[in-house]
Amino acid sequence: MNDDDTLLVGAVAYTANVVPIWEGIKEYFADSDTPMDFVLYSNYERQVEELLAGHIDLAWNTNVAWVRTLRRTNGTARAVAMRDTDLTFRTLFIGRQGTGRLSLSDFGGRRIALGSRDSGQARILPVHFLTEAGIGADDAEWVIFDSDVGKHGDTGTSDLDALRAVLADDADVAAVGVNTWQAMTAGGEDLVADLEVVWESEDYNHCNFTALEGLDEDRVERWVQHLLAMDWENPEHRHILELEGLREWKRPELEGYRSLHEAMESQGIADGW
Amino acid sequence: MSALILRLVEQVGATPAGSVTEVALDGPDDLASVARWCEATGNEVLTVLPDAVEIHRGRIADPLASLPPERRPGHRLWVYTNFHCNLACDYCCVESSPTAAPRVLSTAELSRLLEAAVASGVEELYITGGEPFMLIDMDERLRLATSLLPTTVLTNAMLFRGERLRRLEALPRDNLTLQISLDSATPGLHDRHRGSGSFERALDGIRCALDLGFRVRVAATLGEDAGDTETELERLFSDLGLDDDQRVVRRVARQGAANSGLTVSRTSLVPEVCVTAEGVWWHPVAAIDPAMKVADHWAPFDEVLDSVREEYRRHRIRGDVLASTFPCA
Repeated sequence: MNDDDTLLVGAVAYTANVVPIWEGIKEYFADSDTPMDFVLYSNYERQVEELLAGHIDLAWNTNVAWVRTLRRTNGTARAVAMRDTDLTFRTLFIGRQGTGRLSLSDFGGRRIALGSRDSGQARILPVHFLTEAGIGADDAEWVIFDSDVGKHGDTGTSDLDALRAVLADDADVAAVGVNTWQAMTAGGEDLVADLEVVWESEDYNHCNFTALEGLDEDRVERWVQHLLAMDWENPEHRHILELEGLREWKRPELEGYRSLHEAMESQGIADGW
Repeated sequence: MSALILRLVEQVGATPAGSVTEVALDGPDDLASVARWCEATGNEVLTVLPDAVEIHRGRIADPLASLPPERRPGHRLWVYTNFHCNLACDYCCVESSPTAAPRVLSTAELSRLLEAAVASGVEELYITGGEPFMLIDMDERLRLATSLLPTTVLTNAMLFRGERLRRLEALPRDNLTLQISLDSATPGLHDRHRGSGSFERALDGIRCALDLGFRVRVAATLGEDAGDTETELERLFSDLGLDDDQRVVRRVARQGAANSGLTVSRTSLVPEVCVTAEGVWWHPVAAIDPAMKVADHWAPFDEVLDSVREEYRRHRIRGDVLASTFPCA
């Protein structure tokens, strides 16, 4: 823990653009009564260990890193804030144009491209949704793309690899995070006219700021209140919000993590490395 | 098409904000798709290459916005009314002389140009040559110009005699500045470059213009042999009662008759659109340099102006990108 009043926030450097994001947030907090600094890690496993060791006060965690932290702390860790977009995250299955809308039970016998083993949206949850629908590894061919392991799918690389497999007819459908599909269709769905959404999940939660039990609640609350005050209409704030992919910060709603808890439990995904 | 979008998402997403990435195109139709995608995602197409595009990660701040308003292309218009001159200065950037082809811009043409310029937002006019007052009817042009815009006419002030003097005296004083060339505080340096006896006549011309109540600005062009001339000139300017904004000291540019001096180019100069009888130029200091020619004719003026602004933007953005991506060590 820090000796001074500066809250130390951990984040994972999954792209060079993480630096301006956190420099911007740090600058935003510089004038507050809860100044912050940040530390960048190369992967979420390292970040979770550092949070548990008390080397950082808050961790900007993926959903997978959040579940691991919660398990390692016997449920005492707490989420303190998240993006609006973290409350409405979804997994999509994308197929070639003409595939049509499918139910998960239709996936039997198909070649299903899946992303990195530590990606909640492109691997862990898709497998969970399929398994719940009765489609196990023996019922379909899983085409695996373990790209950028350690980044929990943040780079989107495995999503894109899976989509390329569909375009190359090496797979029938690909599991991707909704953010990847939104990035692809930002200029219009006709730009990806040879692909289509064939199935999409219910909303679930993605990232959050995670704190350990011992962190002063009043201090965190003041920090969160200042975070929530970031304003989309303020050009300086907006630049940061756009880079980080949100319109406003929100108080956490933890119900949306339930499916991932179940998925990681049933798939026997380890709590750490 | 989807393969292209996948490349865009992957490459642009991995590119640091403010940097540039080159994305391969599968065909000419891809360009419109790339432009749409970039517009929607807050990125910008920087350069279109034969089989690829260079994309700037994030929005590019308009380089024009960083210029003071009076330096933005389109604020100031330069016009060469003619190229012949009573002098043959050895550093003249457009090789003017008594034997130079006059290449006169008629009063009628100037009138059409100024009408278009005012409509395009030009707020300040500079008339130069050659020696503008070689044209006996220069007063008509200045009367026209000053009725539309604050106008400065660049002159060596050596022809203010006889009919020309009478016409000068009759000109309105409002909206008109005479910018008179004087390269040193004593005859030596000035006459060396501009001709024997020219210093005394220029000084007489400055005094004449001041006595007639014209607003006068004195401009010196200094080369490598200037020595302490600038300091001496400042004293003379003060003796003449000139304020700071009535004094201009600039360096010789390596253009026209000048064999040495500052090297200028479209990438090194903030454009100041300049019209001559032969076309439109990036800057008045290079109005006979083919590399600095912008268009063969000034009309339609707003389109010419837009093309200059756009080229300046490209130069600046390209320069900024190179500066940020080309470290040698």
